[in-house]
Amino acid sequence: MSEPQTPRILAPHLQSFQHRLVRMLGKVVQLRGDRAIIDAGGNVDVILNRDSHLAVGHAVEIIGKVDGNLHVKVVAATDFGTEIDFNAANAVVEATHRHKEIFYED
Amino acid sequence: MSYNNYDSGYSNTSYGGGGGGGGGFDPNGSQNSPSGGKREFQQDSMRAVTIKQILEAEPSGNSFNIDGSSITNLTFVGQIRNISSQKTFTTYKLDDGTGSIEVKKWIDSNAAEEVDPVKSRLVEGSYCRAWGKLNSFGDKRHVGVHNIRPVEDMNEVSYHLLEATVVHLHFTRGPPGGAAGAGGAAPQQQNQQLDTSDNYGAANLSGYSSVAKRVFQYMQDAPQTNEGLHQQDIAAKLGVDTADVARAGDDLLSGGLIYTTVDDQTWAILEAE
Repeated sequence: MSEPQTPRILAPHLQSFQHRLVRMLGKVVQLRGDRAIIDAGGNVDVILNRDSHLAVGHAVEIIGKVDGNLHVKVVAATDFGTEIDFNAANAVVEATHRHKEIFYED
Repeated sequence: MSYNNYDSGYSNTSYGGGGGGGGGFDPNGSQNSPSGGKREFQQDSMRAVTIKQILEAEPSGNSFNIDGSSITNLTFVGQIRNISSQKTFTTYKLDDGTGSIEVKKWIDSNAAEEVDPVKSRLVEGSYCRAWGKLNSFGDKRHVGVHNIRPVEDMNEVSYHLLEATVVHLHFTRGPPGGAAGAGGAAPQQQNQQLDTSDNYGAANLSGYSSVAKRVFQYMQDAPQTNEGLHQQDIAAKLGVDTADVARAGDDLLSGGLIYTTVDDQTWAILEAE
């Protein structure tokens, strides 16, 4: 189908997902102009688009492309509020990689 | 493919123009909390899946298989990518990161003129949970949904993906620890592997009283009909007070290890398979 897959990853996985579209859930640490830092198992530099509305302290789910500097260029950002259980969210990432057959190709 | 084998498992759907629902289904029936713990893993089960699993489900007669097991009702969580409204149904395109699929929700003609508060919150980019059945039309698949609602607590996204993983592993590897009981929650069953001191077959008796353990052990070993054993026989054989056996029986009953047969005092062991 037409929507591309967006593997869920954390900061340590960025290296292996260069130039690919990914999905990251993290907590917004810092906002500065069109840049932000989110904590998703480690700090990640995020390059925002015009439609991103991030709030410091909120969880945000980002769909974006990992560039050569391991920054993530946002395609879409969804606010996940302040009640996210990051232990569960990080367990999801782990599960999706370990049991890839039901989540992602290759 | 027609829609005429829809059951009306959800009381707020009547499928007015949709070709009628199968009658007689109790709207308060066992399917109304599909995200809850109880899964039957058989006919008319409600299975949590990822969209990739739906897209890769193997056709089998009129239905589909996932992990070699027939599927009927599915539930999944996704982000709405597109909404298109037709006269009789609304199509949502849902994306959960593993793939995307169209889901169709028939419009209840009886409630058509009213503004639906749930529907107004299903907007592009938002997450929702859907329940429905997989259909294929030509080589294009879609899910006819009984119900679709917005996700309120975003942890439900994590929850759903973990649940889909657990169910997948259940079908491909069997229950956690290879142990008893498809109905139990996974985290508790993992403790079984740690409890090596007592071997009571597949059952986990840690946490039960010593009387309960003896009762269970005796029930496993004693010759009996399929009516099981009466609590007074057990008490007599074990030389334990009947009241203690009754209490032990209550614990084992509520733990799902035994069940009552001809009357409340006659018990048999609930076999795992």
